[in-house]
Amino acid sequence: MRNHLLVFTATAVLLQLSFAGATYAHHANASFDMTNSATVKGTVTGFDWTNPHAYIYLDVNGKDAVEKWSVEMGSIGMLARAGWRRDTVKPGDEITVIGNRAKDGKTFLRLSKLVFASGQELTTTVQ
Amino acid sequence: MWNRLIFSAAAVAAIFALSPASRGRNAAQQRPLPDISGVWLVENFQPRLFPKGGAPFTPWAEMKFKATDLQTNDPNLACLPMGVPRFMIAVPYPMEILPMPTRIIIIHEGPQVMRQIYMNRQHPKDLDPTYSGDAIGKWEGNTLVVDTIGFNDKTWLDGGGLPHSEKMHVVERIRRVDHDTLVDAITIDDPMAYTKPITAQQVYKLKPGWEIQEYVCEENNKYTYQGK
Repeated sequence: MRNHLLVFTATAVLLQLSFAGATYAHHANASFDMTNSATVKGTVTGFDWTNPHAYIYLDVNGKDAVEKWSVEMGSIGMLARAGWRRDTVKPGDEITVIGNRAKDGKTFLRLSKLVFASGQELTTTVQ
Repeated sequence: MWNRLIFSAAAVAAIFALSPASRGRNAAQQRPLPDISGVWLVENFQPRLFPKGGAPFTPWAEMKFKATDLQTNDPNLACLPMGVPRFMIAVPYPMEILPMPTRIIIIHEGPQVMRQIYMNRQHPKDLDPTYSGDAIGKWEGNTLVVDTIGFNDKTWLDGGGLPHSEKMHVVERIRRVDHDTLVDAITIDDPMAYTKPITAQQVYKLKPGWEIQEYVCEENNKYTYQGK
Protein backbone atom coordinates (compact mmCIF):
# COMPACT_ATOMS: atom_id res chain seq x y z
CA MET A 1 0.00 0.00 0.00
CA ARG A 2 1.26 3.44 -0.84
CA ASN A 3 0.94 5.84 2.00
CA HIS A 4 1.58 9.38 0.93
CA LEU A 5 2.45 10.94 4.23
CA LEU A 6 2.61 14.44 2.91
CA VAL A 7 1.11 16.24 0.00
CA PHE A 8 2.77 18.94 -2.07
CA THR A 9 -0.26 21.18 -2.20
CA ALA A 10 -1.04 21.94 1.41
CA THR A 11 -3.13 25.05 1.83
CA ALA A 12 -1.74 27.99 3.75
CA VAL A 13 -4.24 27.35 6.50
CA LEU A 14 -3.26 23.72 6.86
CA LEU A 15 0.39 24.67 6.86
CA GLN A 16 -0.15 27.17 9.63
CA LEU A 17 -2.18 24.72 11.66
CA SER A 18 0.42 22.06 11.25
CA PHE A 19 3.18 24.38 12.37
CA ALA A 20 1.18 25.80 15.25
CA GLY A 21 1.65 22.32 16.63
CA ALA A 22 5.02 21.80 15.13
CA THR A 23 7.03 23.08 18.04
CA TYR A 24 5.53 20.39 20.27
CA ALA A 25 7.17 17.32 18.84
CA HIS A 26 8.51 16.16 22.17
CA HIS A 27 5.29 14.44 23.09
CA ALA A 28 1.90 13.57 21.67
CA ASN A 29 -1.01 15.99 21.80
CA ALA A 30 -3.37 13.43 23.28
CA SER A 31 -3.19 14.90 26.79
CA PHE A 32 -4.50 18.29 25.61
CA ASP A 33 -8.01 19.20 24.54
CA MET A 34 -7.19 20.10 20.95
CA THR A 35 -10.80 20.80 19.99
CA ASN A 36 -11.33 23.73 22.35
CA SER A 37 -9.35 26.88 22.89
CA ALA A 38 -8.91 28.17 26.44
CA THR A 39 -8.06 31.74 27.45
CA VAL A 40 -6.38 32.50 30.78
CA LYS A 41 -5.30 35.87 32.18
CA GLY A 42 -2.75 36.15 34.95
CA THR A 43 0.49 37.48 36.37
CA VAL A 44 3.80 35.96 35.34
CA THR A 45 5.73 34.40 38.22
CA GLY A 46 8.41 32.65 36.17
CA PHE A 47 9.71 31.87 32.68
CA ASP A 48 11.80 28.79 31.83
CA TRP A 49 13.69 29.55 28.61
CA THR A 50 14.68 25.91 28.23
CA ASN A 51 14.46 22.77 26.10
CA PRO A 52 12.71 20.56 25.26
CA HIS A 53 10.01 23.10 26.17
CA ALA A 54 9.82 26.64 27.43
CA TYR A 55 7.33 27.34 30.24
CA ILE A 56 5.54 30.39 31.58
CA TYR A 57 4.25 30.18 35.15
CA LEU A 58 1.20 32.27 36.00
CA ASP A 59 -0.78 33.27 39.07
CA VAL A 60 -4.42 33.43 38.05
CA ASN A 61 -7.19 34.81 40.22
CA GLY A 62 -9.67 31.98 40.61
CA LYS A 63 -13.07 31.95 42.28
CA ASP A 64 -11.75 31.21 45.73
CA ALA A 65 -7.98 31.35 45.53
CA VAL A 66 -5.04 32.09 43.31
CA GLU A 67 -4.50 29.27 40.83
CA LYS A 68 -0.98 28.29 39.78
CA TRP A 69 -0.89 27.74 36.01
CA SER A 70 1.87 26.29 33.83
CA VAL A 71 1.96 27.20 30.16
CA GLU A 72 3.97 24.99 27.82
CA MET A 73 5.58 26.07 24.56
CA GLY A 74 7.91 24.41 22.07
CA SER A 75 11.67 24.31 21.81
CA ILE A 76 13.52 27.59 22.31
CA GLY A 77 15.16 27.24 18.89
CA MET A 78 11.78 27.25 17.15
CA LEU A 79 10.37 29.89 19.51
CA ALA A 80 13.29 32.18 18.69
CA ARG A 81 12.43 31.76 14.99
CA ALA A 82 8.85 32.75 15.87
CA GLY A 83 10.11 35.97 17.45
CA TRP A 84 10.49 34.96 21.09
CA ARG A 85 13.47 35.90 23.28
CA ARG A 86 14.64 34.84 26.74
CA ASP A 87 13.15 38.03 28.18
CA THR A 88 9.90 38.04 26.21
CA VAL A 89 8.01 37.71 29.49
CA LYS A 90 9.17 38.70 32.96
CA PRO A 91 7.82 38.10 36.46
CA GLY A 92 5.14 40.67 37.22
CA ASP A 93 3.94 40.96 33.61
CA GLU A 94 0.17 40.83 33.20
CA ILE A 95 -0.53 38.58 30.22
CA THR A 96 -3.28 36.59 28.56
CA VAL A 97 -2.52 33.14 27.21
CA ILE A 98 -4.60 31.30 24.65
CA GLY A 99 -4.16 27.61 23.93
CA ASN A 100 -5.27 24.07 24.69
CA ARG A 101 -5.86 23.00 28.27
CA ALA A 102 -4.86 19.63 29.67
CA LYS A 103 -7.70 17.12 29.40
CA ASP A 104 -7.25 15.98 32.99
CA GLY A 105 -8.36 19.38 34.25
CA LYS A 106 -4.98 20.45 35.58
CA THR A 107 -4.10 24.16 35.36
CA PHE A 108 -1.83 23.37 32.45
CA LEU A 109 -2.06 24.93 28.99
CA ARG A 110 -0.33 24.37 25.66
CA LEU A 111 0.19 27.83 24.26
CA SER A 112 -0.95 29.02 20.83
CA LYS A 113 -0.91 32.77 21.40
CA LEU A 114 0.33 35.22 24.01
CA VAL A 115 -1.31 38.65 24.43
CA PHE A 116 0.66 41.29 26.31
CA ALA A 117 -1.05 43.95 28.48
CA SER A 118 -0.39 46.38 25.61
CA GLY A 119 -2.51 44.24 23.33
CA GLN A 120 0.49 43.14 21.30
CA GLU A 121 0.33 39.48 20.33
CA LEU A 122 2.93 36.75 19.85
CA THR A 123 2.28 33.25 18.57
CA THR A 124 4.37 30.11 18.62
CA THR A 125 4.05 29.77 14.86
CA VAL A 126 7.19 29.82 12.71
CA GLN A 127 6.42 31.47 9.41
CA MET B 1 62.07 28.79 -32.66
CA TRP B 2 61.80 27.13 -29.22
CA ASN B 3 59.03 29.51 -28.34
CA ARG B 4 57.14 28.50 -31.45
CA LEU B 5 57.63 24.78 -30.69
CA ILE B 6 56.43 25.20 -27.14
CA PHE B 7 53.45 27.15 -28.39
CA SER B 8 52.65 24.38 -30.91
CA ALA B 9 52.94 21.70 -28.27
CA ALA B 10 50.61 23.68 -26.05
CA ALA B 11 48.15 24.09 -28.90
CA VAL B 12 48.19 20.33 -29.64
CA ALA B 13 47.68 19.60 -25.96
CA ALA B 14 44.80 22.04 -25.84
CA ILE B 15 43.16 20.48 -28.89
CA PHE B 16 43.59 17.02 -27.41
CA ALA B 17 42.11 18.18 -24.14
CA LEU B 18 39.08 19.54 -25.95
CA SER B 19 38.53 16.45 -28.12
CA PRO B 20 35.18 14.73 -27.50
CA ALA B 21 36.74 11.57 -26.03
CA SER B 22 38.81 13.31 -23.41
CA ARG B 23 36.08 15.85 -22.68
CA GLY B 24 33.72 12.99 -21.94
CA ARG B 25 36.22 11.42 -19.58
CA ASN B 26 36.87 14.70 -17.79
CA ALA B 27 33.18 15.40 -17.54
CA ALA B 28 32.63 12.04 -15.92
CA GLN B 29 35.45 12.65 -13.49
CA GLN B 30 34.60 16.22 -12.67
CA ARG B 31 30.83 16.27 -12.90
CA PRO B 32 29.70 18.10 -9.79
CA LEU B 33 27.55 16.10 -7.43
CA PRO B 34 24.04 17.42 -6.79
CA ASP B 35 24.11 19.96 -3.98
CA ILE B 36 21.73 19.04 -1.17
CA SER B 37 23.56 21.05 1.49
CA GLY B 38 21.71 23.52 3.65
CA VAL B 39 19.22 23.77 6.49
CA TRP B 40 15.91 22.08 5.68
CA LEU B 41 12.57 21.89 7.49
CA VAL B 42 9.65 19.58 6.80
CA GLU B 43 7.03 21.39 4.73
CA ASN B 44 4.15 19.86 6.64
CA PHE B 45 4.53 18.17 10.00
CA GLN B 46 2.45 15.03 10.35
CA PRO B 47 3.63 12.87 13.24
CA ARG B 48 1.76 9.76 12.05
CA LEU B 49 2.50 7.60 9.02
CA PHE B 50 -1.07 6.28 9.07
CA PRO B 51 -3.24 9.10 10.48
CA LYS B 52 -6.39 7.10 9.73
CA GLY B 53 -5.00 3.74 10.80
CA GLY B 54 -4.55 0.76 8.50
CA ALA B 55 -0.87 -0.08 8.97
CA PRO B 56 -0.23 -3.59 7.57
CA PHE B 57 0.79 -5.10 10.90
CA THR B 58 1.90 -8.64 11.40
CA PRO B 59 0.33 -10.20 14.53
CA TRP B 60 3.62 -9.54 16.38
CA ALA B 61 3.59 -5.83 15.54
CA GLU B 62 -0.12 -5.44 16.19
CA MET B 63 0.31 -6.84 19.68
CA LYS B 64 3.15 -4.41 20.36
CA PHE B 65 1.17 -1.49 18.91
CA LYS B 66 -1.92 -2.23 21.02
CA ALA B 67 0.21 -2.33 24.17
CA THR B 68 1.64 1.12 23.41
CA ASP B 69 0.58 4.26 25.29
CA LEU B 70 1.66 7.45 23.55
CA GLN B 71 1.62 9.31 26.87
CA THR B 72 4.15 7.07 28.57
CA ASN B 73 5.94 4.82 26.07
CA ASP B 74 7.29 7.28 23.51
CA PRO B 75 11.12 7.04 23.67
CA ASN B 76 11.09 10.73 22.88
CA LEU B 77 9.71 11.38 26.38
CA ALA B 78 13.05 10.19 27.72
CA CYS B 79 14.92 12.37 25.23
CA LEU B 80 16.11 9.20 23.49
CA PRO B 81 16.87 9.45 19.76
CA MET B 82 13.99 9.37 17.29
CA GLY B 83 15.93 6.90 15.16
CA VAL B 84 15.52 6.28 11.45
CA PRO B 85 13.05 6.64 9.75
CA ARG B 86 11.15 8.80 12.31
CA PHE B 87 14.16 11.10 12.34
CA MET B 88 13.56 11.83 8.64
CA ILE B 89 9.78 11.93 8.40
CA ALA B 90 8.15 13.02 11.63
CA VAL B 91 10.32 15.69 13.22
CA PRO B 92 9.25 19.35 13.05
CA TYR B 93 12.72 20.73 13.74
CA PRO B 94 15.24 21.62 11.06
CA MET B 95 18.11 19.46 9.88
CA GLU B 96 21.34 20.51 8.22
CA ILE B 97 22.85 18.39 5.47
CA LEU B 98 26.64 18.58 5.26
CA PRO B 99 28.16 16.73 2.30
CA MET B 100 31.75 15.60 2.91
CA PRO B 101 34.12 13.80 0.53
CA THR B 102 33.29 10.32 1.82
CA ARG B 103 30.18 10.90 3.92
CA ILE B 104 27.02 12.91 4.04
CA ILE B 105 26.31 14.12 7.54
CA ILE B 106 22.84 15.16 8.70
CA ILE B 107 22.57 17.09 11.95
CA HIS B 108 19.11 17.29 13.43
CA GLU B 109 18.28 20.13 15.78
CA GLY B 110 15.99 18.26 18.08
CA PRO B 111 16.56 15.94 19.68
CA GLN B 112 20.10 16.78 18.67
CA VAL B 113 21.55 13.81 16.83
CA MET B 114 23.87 13.20 13.92
CA ARG B 115 23.30 10.76 11.10
CA GLN B 116 26.20 9.61 8.93
CA ILE B 117 25.67 8.25 5.42
CA TYR B 118 28.83 6.55 4.14
CA MET B 119 29.42 7.05 0.43
CA ASN B 120 32.51 4.88 0.01
CA ARG B 121 31.75 1.51 1.52
CA GLN B 122 29.30 -1.35 1.92
CA HIS B 123 27.50 -2.35 5.12
CA PRO B 124 29.88 -4.04 7.56
CA LYS B 125 29.02 -7.59 8.54
CA ASP B 126 27.71 -8.41 12.00
CA LEU B 127 26.45 -4.92 12.82
CA ASP B 128 25.67 -3.91 16.37
CA PRO B 129 22.06 -2.69 16.41
CA THR B 130 21.85 1.10 16.78
CA TYR B 131 19.23 3.87 16.80
CA SER B 132 20.25 5.26 13.41
CA GLY B 133 21.46 1.99 11.89
CA ASP B 134 24.24 1.79 9.33
CA ALA B 135 23.59 4.01 6.32
CA ILE B 136 25.39 3.80 3.00
CA GLY B 137 24.67 6.07 0.05
CA LYS B 138 25.26 6.35 -3.67
CA TRP B 139 24.22 8.81 -6.33
CA GLU B 140 21.92 7.62 -9.10
CA GLY B 141 21.84 10.65 -11.35
CA ASN B 142 20.48 13.46 -9.23
CA THR B 143 19.06 11.12 -6.60
CA LEU B 144 20.87 10.13 -3.42
CA VAL B 145 19.94 6.54 -2.64
CA VAL B 146 20.46 5.69 1.02
CA ASP B 147 20.31 2.12 2.26
CA THR B 148 20.08 1.65 6.03
CA ILE B 149 20.12 -1.54 8.11
CA GLY B 150 21.44 -2.50 11.53
CA PHE B 151 18.73 -0.93 13.65
CA ASN B 152 17.83 -1.63 17.23
CA ASP B 153 14.12 -2.04 17.96
CA LYS B 154 13.93 0.75 20.56
CA THR B 155 12.42 3.38 18.28
CA TRP B 156 9.13 3.91 16.49
CA LEU B 157 8.59 4.48 12.78
CA ASP B 158 6.66 7.67 13.58
CA GLY B 159 5.11 9.64 16.40
CA GLY B 160 2.08 7.34 16.48
CA GLY B 161 3.76 4.33 18.06
CA LEU B 162 4.35 2.11 15.01
CA PRO B 163 6.87 -0.53 16.13
CA HIS B 164 9.61 -2.17 14.12
CA SER B 165 12.08 -5.00 14.57
CA GLU B 166 15.85 -5.22 14.20
CA LYS B 167 15.19 -6.70 10.74
CA MET B 168 14.01 -3.33 9.36
CA HIS B 169 15.55 -2.22 6.07
CA VAL B 170 15.03 1.37 4.98
CA VAL B 171 15.74 2.67 1.48
CA GLU B 172 15.49 6.39 0.83
CA ARG B 173 15.61 8.24 -2.47
CA ILE B 174 16.50 11.84 -1.70
CA ARG B 175 16.31 14.41 -4.47
CA ARG B 176 16.39 18.18 -4.67
CA VAL B 177 13.46 18.74 -7.00
CA ASP B 178 14.01 22.49 -7.17
CA HIS B 179 16.21 25.05 -5.42
CA ASP B 180 13.98 25.29 -2.36
CA THR B 181 12.60 21.75 -2.19
CA LEU B 182 14.05 18.41 -1.13
CA VAL B 183 12.02 15.19 -1.30
CA ASP B 184 12.77 11.95 0.55
CA ALA B 185 10.85 8.95 -0.80
CA ILE B 186 11.13 6.24 1.82
CA THR B 187 10.50 2.51 1.66
CA ILE B 188 10.39 0.65 4.98
CA ASP B 189 10.68 -3.11 4.71
CA ASP B 190 10.33 -5.09 7.93
CA PRO B 191 8.76 -8.52 7.32
CA MET B 192 8.68 -9.26 11.04
CA ALA B 193 6.50 -6.21 11.72
CA TYR B 194 4.63 -5.50 8.46
CA THR B 195 3.10 -7.79 5.86
CA LYS B 196 4.26 -5.51 3.03
CA PRO B 197 6.70 -2.62 2.61
CA ILE B 198 5.51 0.79 3.76
CA THR B 199 6.22 3.73 1.49
CA ALA B 200 6.10 7.36 2.53
CA GLN B 201 7.32 10.67 1.25
CA GLN B 202 8.55 13.72 3.09
CA VAL B 203 9.01 17.16 1.56
CA TYR B 204 11.47 19.62 3.04
CA LYS B 205 11.87 23.34 2.36
CA LEU B 206 15.20 25.15 2.33
CA LYS B 207 15.55 27.65 5.19
CA PRO B 208 18.14 30.23 4.10
CA GLY B 209 19.76 32.01 7.00
CA TRP B 210 18.72 29.43 9.58
CA GLU B 211 21.37 27.90 11.80
CA ILE B 212 20.99 24.72 13.83
CA GLN B 213 20.37 25.74 17.43
CA GLU B 214 21.35 24.02 20.64
CA TYR B 215 18.69 21.64 21.94
CA VAL B 216 19.51 19.97 25.22
CA CYS B 217 16.45 17.80 25.73
CA GLU B 218 17.49 16.67 29.22
CA GLU B 219 17.68 20.26 30.50
CA ASN B 220 14.06 20.74 31.57
CA ASN B 221 12.24 17.57 30.56
CA LYS B 222 9.11 17.30 32.71
CA TYR B 223 7.83 14.15 31.07
CA THR B 224 8.17 10.57 32.24
CA TYR B 225 9.08 7.62 30.09
CA GLN B 226 7.95 4.20 31.21
CA GLY B 227 9.74 2.10 28.62
CA LYS B 228 8.13 -0.31 26.21
